[in-house]
Amino acid sequence: MNVNEAINRLKEIQSTTNACVTIIEHDVKTHEGVLSDVPIALKDNVITKGILTTGGSKLLSNYIPPYNATIVDKIKQAGGIIVAKTTLDELGMGGTGTASFNGPVKNPFDLTRQAGGSSSGSAVVVAAKAVDIAIGSDTGDSVRKPASYVGVVGTKPTYGRISRYGIIPYASSLDHVGYFTSDVRLAALMCDVLSGQDKMDHTSLPYPSTTLAPQLHDDVKGKVYGIFKEVLEAIDHPQTLKNFDAVCKALESKGAIIKTISMNETILRTCLPTYYIIANCEATANHSNLTGVNFGLTQEGEDVETIMTNTRTHGFGPLIRKRFVIGSYGLKDENQDKLFRKAQKVRRVIVNEFNRMLSECDGLIAPATTSTAPLLEGANMNVLSNAHLIAENYMVLANFSGAPSITVPIMPVDGLPHGINLTCKIEDEATMFQLALAIETCVKEGL
Amino acid sequence: MNKDIILSLAEELNFTLSEGEVENIVNEFHSLQDLLSLLETIDTEGVSEMVYPFESPLLTLRDDEVTHELSQSQALSNAHKVKEGYVSVPKVVK
Amino acid sequence: MKRDVVIGIEIHCELKTNSKMFSASRNSINDTPNIHVNEIDLGHPGVLPTLNKRAVELTLRACMLTHCEIDSLIKFDRKNYYYSDLPKGFQITQQFHPIGKNGLIEFEVDQQRKQVRLDRIHMEEDTAKQYHLEDETHIDYNRAGVPLIEIVSKPDMSSAKEAKEYVSTLRNMLIFAEVTDGKMEEGSLRCDINISLKEADSVQFGTKVEIKNLNSLNNIEKAIEAEILRQNQLLDAGEKVLMQTRRYDETLKTTVAMRSKESAVDYRYFPEPNLRPIQLEQAWIDSIQASLPKTPQQWLEHLIELGATVIEANILINNKSLLDFFIEASKEVKDVRLALNWTITEVTSLVNIMQEKLFEMVSSHHFALFLNCISDKVISGKQAKDVLKWMSESGKDAQTLVNEHGLVMVSDDTALLNWIDEAIQENPQSILDFKQGKDRAVGFLVGQVMKKSKGQADPARCNALVRARLLEQ
Repeated sequence: MNVNEAINRLKEIQSTTNACVTIIEHDVKTHEGVLSDVPIALKDNVITKGILTTGGSKLLSNYIPPYNATIVDKIKQAGGIIVAKTTLDELGMGGTGTASFNGPVKNPFDLTRQAGGSSSGSAVVVAAKAVDIAIGSDTGDSVRKPASYVGVVGTKPTYGRISRYGIIPYASSLDHVGYFTSDVRLAALMCDVLSGQDKMDHTSLPYPSTTLAPQLHDDVKGKVYGIFKEVLEAIDHPQTLKNFDAVCKALESKGAIIKTISMNETILRTCLPTYYIIANCEATANHSNLTGVNFGLTQEGEDVETIMTNTRTHGFGPLIRKRFVIGSYGLKDENQDKLFRKAQKVRRVIVNEFNRMLSECDGLIAPATTSTAPLLEGANMNVLSNAHLIAENYMVLANFSGAPSITVPIMPVDGLPHGINLTCKIEDEATMFQLALAIETCVKEGL
Repeated sequence: MNKDIILSLAEELNFTLSEGEVENIVNEFHSLQDLLSLLETIDTEGVSEMVYPFESPLLTLRDDEVTHELSQSQALSNAHKVKEGYVSVPKVVK
Repeated sequence: MKRDVVIGIEIHCELKTNSKMFSASRNSINDTPNIHVNEIDLGHPGVLPTLNKRAVELTLRACMLTHCEIDSLIKFDRKNYYYSDLPKGFQITQQFHPIGKNGLIEFEVDQQRKQVRLDRIHMEEDTAKQYHLEDETHIDYNRAGVPLIEIVSKPDMSSAKEAKEYVSTLRNMLIFAEVTDGKMEEGSLRCDINISLKEADSVQFGTKVEIKNLNSLNNIEKAIEAEILRQNQLLDAGEKVLMQTRRYDETLKTTVAMRSKESAVDYRYFPEPNLRPIQLEQAWIDSIQASLPKTPQQWLEHLIELGATVIEANILINNKSLLDFFIEASKEVKDVRLALNWTITEVTSLVNIMQEKLFEMVSSHHFALFLNCISDKVISGKQAKDVLKWMSESGKDAQTLVNEHGLVMVSDDTALLNWIDEAIQENPQSILDFKQGKDRAVGFLVGQVMKKSKGQADPARCNALVRARLLEQ
């Protein structure tokens, strides 16, 4: 679609879905390239020079950045045109899409349901066919889970593959730039456009941009894919399992070898608390710059401390303040050994075990979520159940380890979108896209 | 984790919490405790912290060149109060 | 009973780089506020740090000069706290893995050799600068992110003099190694003193007091002496010394308590997730060691070889600009000893008045040419004094000024003897004085000739001729 069509469609869906913070009508093409004239949406934690960037927070609701994120420069150099900054859970901290300062995002397939989070708006604008490409970020599964809930392709490449310079952080050691696309080919192309070592990001991978799109194919003959046993066992939704099984059979018919792989369940059950501690602790420190001293929605005060306190009280939502209290608690010098450092050690144990499991195959497959998008009020799940700890939260393994991971929509469940998640070895996006394309093709051909 | 600890944490974090919010956090922390206690099920004796997803050290450093500055107006464009080229705040007591 | 004084010193030293520690804006003390900043220095959302290679190189020099054990795996940590001059709400520093450890500094106090051990040297970044007006504070982020090294000594010093010499020696060493410009008045080298008193026969250390914001070597010495006095008086009166931060008040000549810190701040140190550990190559480290600039001690020895006395050499090594000026000039002069004399006396006087501006007005090349004019007897020593003054005011070279002012030195014996004979005729007493062994008669007559010649007579030649004439009488 073209830019005008995109903008019109974005306006059309705004009142029902609330997918956007800002719709941008003035951006023009500045270069020619593989994305020439293509309209692109950006999650509103992507810094855009001269264009409001809120991070989903009231505290930044007046912030006009003086610089561009590296990925924005890359998109512009490829010919792309920015048409929207999309809604997100405040500062990327959330998984429902209901926690932005500008209101909840609704699932276009059922407006009583969530779109997932935190990259909710970006998922929706692709699902609602306003754009074919929308950038998000993935710290625990914030691209790959919404992708399943709204039925689009959600990609999280290897850690450091895409520069994080100019991405408002959540947890630096877990944050990945990711994106939503209408199909797998476009996802491979976006990896080529956005990737490449960035001298502004010392954690970016030391390689030039990938060249995956020209080499993309879906021949999976002889490839070994592992079904993630513990995730399957934690899902009790029959339709989900049936669809998943059908996809695996289709892959087998194309020559792939499907086996079952397994990870220590005790270790797997610690993913969520490990993530919770590391993410909240890092986030708390990362957002210590949000005080209103030289930017942000500054509140008045008779001294600097009061200005900071008023700005942060007024500017942060209650969910974020709660997270920061917990994060700050975990970082306290007397608590770090038991909480933050303990979580970091458990991370190593998790990653070692995960990599061991992954070494047994070319790629790992499992349903991205137990079933479909929950209602806006949220799902009621026993927090300590495997259904919650494993089925709903295993995708964070790819954030802990940095492995590339993608959600591909497959057949709907109960009439709502649903996706399958694939994770491959570090830096092996090629195998990942190949498997994703194969699955997409199988689904299109009908199973 | 109790009310006093939460209030002192909020003070260190430079924001205030309402009574309701404090209570909410106290309650949530209790349910969080069960979740966090799962960490104790993993033996981390002799295991070092994993700070980064990848651990191979970097070899490159940035050359000492001036390549990126904002103009004064760009630098100050988001500040609430600016005076004579400075960011102005109420007097900081030393 | 005399108490033992225990002093430890923390020095923060700005590095002499082009760009900042973690960003590529200019490292410059510039009067215009907020023109050497970018979004990284301002702590805007989404920014990431990148490490400055030259900052690491200069830090390594500091470590090598102080014989530190060097950790070639560079790691950084976050020090978290809120303050108006700290834009990110944390400072990137090296808490857990300093680049240098267990170093040593040697110096002399009252002709005794003294050693002070260094606990650590680590890299970090400077904060923004705040100017406190009556009702407002103005923040300038030019300084935010400037590269700093922190040098922490062990509490090995026991007197104000030792402390002063320690700082002086370390500062000079770093200036010579081009690590810093060490300008204490401008804040590029800042000292915090930790001082406590200990009963002479006790193993228990006393309460530590911190003295901050000392901006000159003299103030370091005075502040410590004042604080030792204060603490002794307190303890003698049976009172306790409170653990606090103090500053030195130059008018009151005592230390004054600053706003006391509340309970110790928890900085929540943890490793910086945006900077992966950086492995420095041993070959690079070795090349830095091999190309270390000459230390002050090495310069001292070099100057003595050139003919300087120990005192003269010490004057030069305490002012690097003066030393550089002299060394450059000495490469072109005919008489190095002459160059030394003039540097130590006249140039030093001018530097005391004009400071660094002198070197802008008089280049070392011009200075060399000027000295050669004296050696070639184009001008006399007395005339030269004026010429140098004119050079410092106009920026012109010596020959031009000599021509402009119509200076000429008369060394012609005939002309000189004319004046000499006149002077002797006018002052017959001087013959008698000379014959009676009063040598000042010579000087007196030479002075008379200088007057008659309006300063143009060659005093050395004149002196010789006056003696000869007097001997003939």
